[in-house]
Order: sequence, then C-alpha cells, then structure tokens
Amino acid sequence: MHIKTLTGFKCIKKKVEEEFRRGWIGPNVNCEYHPCHHRGQDCTYCFCPFYPCNDVQLGKMIGDKGIWDCSDCLFIHRKDVCTFTSSEVERLGIVKADDERLADIFKEAKRRFFKQARSIMVLGATSDAGKSMTAMALCRIILDLGYSVSPLKTQNMSLNTMATHDRREIAMVQALQSKAAGIKRANYHINPILLRPKGDTVSQVMVNGRPYRDYDVRSYYNEFVPGPGTEAVRESITYLRNRYDHIVIEGAGSPAEINIYDRDIANMRAAEMADADCVLVVNTSWGGAFAYALGTIELLEPKDRERIKAVLFNDLSGNPEGFRKGMEEFERISCVPVLGVIPHLDIQLPKEDSEFFRNTKTIGKGKVQISVIKMPKITDFTDIDPLYMENVTVRFAEIPEELDGSDAIIIPGTKNTISDMLWMRDVGIEEKILSFKEKVPILGICGGYQIMGSELTGMDGKTVHGMGLLNSITEWKGDRMVELVSGRLMATGEEISGYETHDGKTISNEKPLFEIFDHKTTRKEGSYDEERKLFGTYIHGIFDRPAFRRYFLSLAGLKEHSEKEYSEHIEENIQKTADAFKASMDMELFERSFMGGRQ
Amino acid sequence: MKIIFLGTSSGVGKTTIAAMFCRYLKRKGIRATPFKAYNVSSHSYVTEDAGEIGIGQAFQAFAAGTEPSKEMNPILVKYTENGVQRSVNDTEKKDKMDIALASFDRLCNEYEAVVCEGSGSPAELNLMKDDVANIRLAAARKIPAVLIGDIERGGVFAGLYGTWKLIDESERHLIKGFIINRFRGDASILRSGTDRITEMTGMEFLGVMPLTDLKFPEEDSSFESEDIDEKKEYYIKNIDEFLNIAEDHLDLERLLSIAKE
Repeated sequence: MHIKTLTGFKCIKKKVEEEFRRGWIGPNVNCEYHPCHHRGQDCTYCFCPFYPCNDVQLGKMIGDKGIWDCSDCLFIHRKDVCTFTSSEVERLGIVKADDERLADIFKEAKRRFFKQARSIMVLGATSDAGKSMTAMALCRIILDLGYSVSPLKTQNMSLNTMATHDRREIAMVQALQSKAAGIKRANYHINPILLRPKGDTVSQVMVNGRPYRDYDVRSYYNEFVPGPGTEAVRESITYLRNRYDHIVIEGAGSPAEINIYDRDIANMRAAEMADADCVLVVNTSWGGAFAYALGTIELLEPKDRERIKAVLFNDLSGNPEGFRKGMEEFERISCVPVLGVIPHLDIQLPKEDSEFFRNTKTIGKGKVQISVIKMPKITDFTDIDPLYMENVTVRFAEIPEELDGSDAIIIPGTKNTISDMLWMRDVGIEEKILSFKEKVPILGICGGYQIMGSELTGMDGKTVHGMGLLNSITEWKGDRMVELVSGRLMATGEEISGYETHDGKTISNEKPLFEIFDHKTTRKEGSYDEERKLFGTYIHGIFDRPAFRRYFLSLAGLKEHSEKEYSEHIEENIQKTADAFKASMDMELFERSFMGGRQ
Repeated sequence: MKIIFLGTSSGVGKTTIAAMFCRYLKRKGIRATPFKAYNVSSHSYVTEDAGEIGIGQAFQAFAAGTEPSKEMNPILVKYTENGVQRSVNDTEKKDKMDIALASFDRLCNEYEAVVCEGSGSPAELNLMKDDVANIRLAAARKIPAVLIGDIERGGVFAGLYGTWKLIDESERHLIKGFIINRFRGDASILRSGTDRITEMTGMEFLGVMPLTDLKFPEEDSSFESEDIDEKKEYYIKNIDEFLNIAEDHLDLERLLSIAKE
C-alpha cells in the first residue's frame, strides 16, 4: 500500500476500482518498486480493496488520529488471497470499491488463508557452530520452494549493526538473512533484543532496534529477561508469524547452558513461544561433535528435547565417509536423525563477529596493502568486507610495526571512541599513522572519523585532543543517529549509499566528502582533503558501491578495479551457500519435519 | 603417580593445563614428565635423543624442568606442505597401542609422575576403536582422567556431559573430575550447572580457570613456526603466571591426590 504517494481515501478507492477491472496479475515484475515487500509477492492489489480492515493481526491504528496503518501487511500479497479475491469480485460482479460485499470476501479469505507461520529454530551446540549461515541458507531454500519466510533472532550480541528504513538498528547477520529470505526492507522485529557489549560484564540492551538501558549479567537475567525482554520477544514472534508462511529463528550460543536454562529467551523459551521445530547445528571442525550434539540434546528438559527434530553436522573437512560411520552410531544412541553433513564451504559472507579476529591477520594477496586499525573496541568491521573483492591485501594492525608498508590506512568504528583513541596513543599507533600523513590516504569511518578530528568532548564534558588530522570537533550529548542514507561523492558526482549509526556529532571545517539526499533537501556529510589524502565519514557500508571504493583505492595506488556492487557479490554467495546446503541435506526429511502443515 | 587430561574437543587448553600441572609438580619437588601418545601437530621439536615430538610436549618438559625426549610423544603426525608425514619414534613395534604403552612404561620407570595429555576429543564415535591417545590408554594403564571443557565457545556443559556419556560405561569411572577453562566474568553464575554435571556423572568439579591473555607455543596454528628454545624463558615465565592463577581457581591439591590414586 503506497498510501503516502496519494492523498486521501478517494484516490485509493479509484485505484482499487482500476485493479478490479484489470483482474489477477500475480507478481508485477515491471513495477519500479518490485518487489516492495519480498520476492514472490502477488501484486494484484497494490492498493488493498479491504482497506481499512481494522484487523489487528494485519495492521495497527496510528496514535489517536484514527489512521489505519497496514504498510507492512503481507496478507493481500499472498497468491491464494489474490486469486480468491479476484475470482469472488468477478463472480459477484463487484465494480465499486465501497461495495459492502467486500467485507464478506475479506472475512472468508481470512478464514481460509490466514495462518500462523510454521516456525523452524536453528540451535547451535556452541557459538560459531554455523547457526547464522544455516539459518540464512534455510531462508533461501524455503524462498526457492515458493514460500514467504522471515528470519528472527530473539537475542543477539552484535558489534556489527545496520539501520532499517524506519531508523531502527538490527544486527548485520539478520539483515543478511533477510536478504536471503528475499525481503526488500528488513524489519526491526527480526531483532527484538540486541546487546552491544560494553565490557566483560555490562552490555547496552536495545529493544526493537532502539537503546533501552545498560545491564550487567545478573540484572539482565533477573530483571530484564522475565519482564520487558520476554514481552518484546513474544511481540516479535507474533508479528512475524502473522505475516509469513515460515519463520527461521536463530538461537544464541548453546541451548544447554543449564545454569541459566529458565532465563534463556534466546533458545528453548523462544522455541516454545513460537512452537518451533528445532534443528541442532554442530561444528565438526574442532572435534568432539558427537559429544556436543548428544550432550546438548540430553541436557534439555524433556518437553524441549521433543522439539529437536534433526541434527546438522557443519563445516566438515576431511573424509565424509569415515564421519558417516560415526553418524549412524550417533542416530542410534540419540534417536535423532541427521539432516545432513555440510562440508567446509569457501564462501565470502559477512562473518559473525565473535570468532572473526581469532585467526585472521590478513585477507587477500594483492600488492596494495590496506591497513585497518584493530582497536580493542572495534565495531562495524563489515565496512571492510567489500575490499576483499579487490586485488588488495587487508591487514589488521594491532601494533605500529604492522602498519609498515601501508598503501592506505583505515580507522574503523569503535564502541568507545575516546578509550580506543587513547589506546592508539599508548601503543604508538597514532604516531605511526601520523608518519604516513600526506603519503598515503587515511580514512576514518564513524569512530575513526571522530578520532581523526582535533577535539573530542565526551558525555562527562571532558575534552581530549584527537589526532588533529582533520579540522573537526566531536561532541557527545546522548542522542543516537540511525539512518539509511544515499547521496553522491562530491569529488566525482557518482552515487553512493550506506547507513549511519552513531552517538556523537561532528562539526567539520573541512570540505564535505559527500552530499546526502534527505527527502527534498540535501545535507553535507564527512570531511575531505584530497591534497593531503585525508577522509572522514560517518557512513557505514561506504565501500559497498563501486564509486567511493574505486576513488579511495586509486589514491592507494590500485590500478585495476572491480566494478561490482557488493550486494551482487553477497547475493551470489547466499545462493551458493543455499545450493551447497540443499545438496548436502536430506531434503525429504527437511520438508517432512520442518515444512509441512502450517497451523 | 599419573594423570591424563582429556578435552571435549581440540583447542580447549589441554596442553597448557598439563604444562601447568607439570610446573606445579616441579614446585613440589616431584620429578614429572609430560606424555602424549599420539599427536597431530604442524610444529615439531627435535629432541637430544634424535626424536621428533610436538612443540606442546617440549614446552611441557621445560615446565616440568626436564629435557624433552622422544618417549614423550612416541607417535607424531605432521602436516607439511607435501601432505601428511607420520613420524614414529619407536620403529620396532607395529601396533600403535604397543608403541604408546611401551613409551609410557619407560617414562613411568624413569620419573615419579607422568602427566598425560589426550588428543582431540575422546568421544569420536568413528575413531574411538583405534584411538590410542585417550580413554583406551587410560584404561590400559589405569590412569585417572580429568576432562577439560572450554567455556569460551559456549555449550561447555553439553560438551562435558556428552563426552562422558559417549565413553563406554566400563571406562567412565576413570574420569574423576572436570575443569572449565577460559571463563570471563563472575564464576559463581556457573555453580548450579557444575553441581548438576557432578550429580549426573559423578565427575568431581575441580574449578573454573579464567581466560588469560598469556601466550604459549601454538601447536596447531597456521602461523609461522617459531623457535621455542629462543622463547623458552618467556614461556616459562607465562606458565609460572598461569600456575599462580590456577592456584586461586583450581583445586590443585585434589588434582594431586587424583594423580596418586
């Protein structure tokens, strides 16, 4: 429903009458907005003939103005609903949009076709078992089978987040799964609880993509989880189940943490709320996979154990035949069937953050060396991912010597700008970067941009001096900016896009790097001094599109560039992953145990 | 005196905890030696007696204050650029278990204490029958075992319980206790979980080791090989530090009495 583009009820009615004359059309792939909701949607009723239906399972009343908002309703975009409605409209000879019989058609369509989504839950025996990738692959497999599907992770600890169209924050991993599910605009309900670690024991808790408050481990489990946490999870599950054929829920960590079992809303409590059938994913690459799988299943309470319908062994290197022998024995002991053994896949997708840096020092083998400062509180390092498509070497530097030979330096985002800047000063990285000044391009993104400035004033009012590379000052006042942006690169005029997620505001006396289109107005963004090769911006995902990537890497001395959009690269890798999963899975078992019979 | 440290998977910290226990015995004035029957390692150490052992055992020997010898790691499998290379220090015997036991027995005669380290997980359903480094070794020589789980990856209770459960009933009694390694935060939150594991398995809870950033020789890393002799002092300093932390967090006296059983 594009009610924003039209004013008033009358225009909607006129459009609906046009739709009645036109009849059933299915997906309108020629529409410039297609698919505005998800791949496979039916576009016969771009304007809903039942508006306003006032059905709270499908939409909601906005404030007290009496405006019915159903902009995210998917019911009228179901093929079965569209074909039924148009055949009824034709049978009854309805031509006017205010025909009272439409209410009866709606009632009957709802009775016949409205169902709660069937829920699948992807559990992991450990963290980094491959849950995210499995959930992503399952989303695409289900979409390819012709169903609508949404991902969900009820509680996620994430350092990489992105903005939604309605200025909420979601985890990058769920945004990726949304893409796999063919969803055009990711919805904040896929991440009702998002945790941003602040230290070993304290986290900032975000609810529905907005900051809620900080908790330590104990108060999180004792106060937040039983109250507002459970409520937020329940609301998201209901919202998504009312809209999709299937939801694929990703668990968090292990479901068998018996010391917090009753308070864990990321795993079995969520499965219970969503009435999900569960698949347990186990990473085989460290060894002990059978033990972890059996232990996880047996430590669950009996009512939860019944939900485990299959085990998926992931990331197997080496001989699958040898492993299979153990697998049969495992099925006999555990009485849970094995859904498949997924081989180690060479796939390039944004990584889950926890494990990324454990064994990663450099990526790529190109001559041009891009150094990324790996600060202790680094965030948003998915910004760097598109560089892996280019013929460069990305090196994560933690000590000054690791910056030797840099052709460009990037200071990425951080959870705590001032403490990470002081760290850079302490370990000598600041001084080392300054020795590269005017020789190689230096780019700060978000926190890195703030660090490159001359002054930073924290929430406590204390001011510290920055690196002084850019003539800019940053202040924190407690408000958070979360927004999807698009605009152009001032230097070349080419299109760019990305998203901003930051506390702190920067005022710069440098030339702006970008011009951002903000509805009908424009605003300047970032800082830029081409002569001294210095750049700063708040925009994450700025390397995703070729324009800025090419511009920046040229200054670093790269001659040949990839003109690929990163989103295309991601799409190819999603499909590759899904196809590999499909080839290694018992699809008959999958459809029988996880797909059949929506309720 | 003998003990074997088993792990719920590879990389749980068996090598370091065994080295720590070697160091602990050294401080007590007990002549100890490390032992790992079968080792898959990309980095090896050439011993004075012209053998080749894993870098982990060489490090453990230094921690114990003894000279590395080929008996400490009788079977070594190395991944090299040219593929797999198997190096066996005792070429007279063919059966892997015979080789392992012969070396173990020789070490028992020579030292007061043998601190063994298992290999990978002892509960690989597809490999258990041929496994000479873990529970079968323990059963053959009645070596009391301690199971180590890594909490950093999560699922530690499942790993501990599942491993115990997959070990043959007749051999489970050998696993006397368990240790949780690499914990960050307030360990009291784990209490109900560790109690439950003890209740379900009979394994005694021996403590929670906090996550440290102390560096030790990397056995399986893909990083470049390093000269352990050169960094010996640095690693010894680190294992001393690790032992100091362990004294506050693990029941080392109980470990000692388990080893004496």
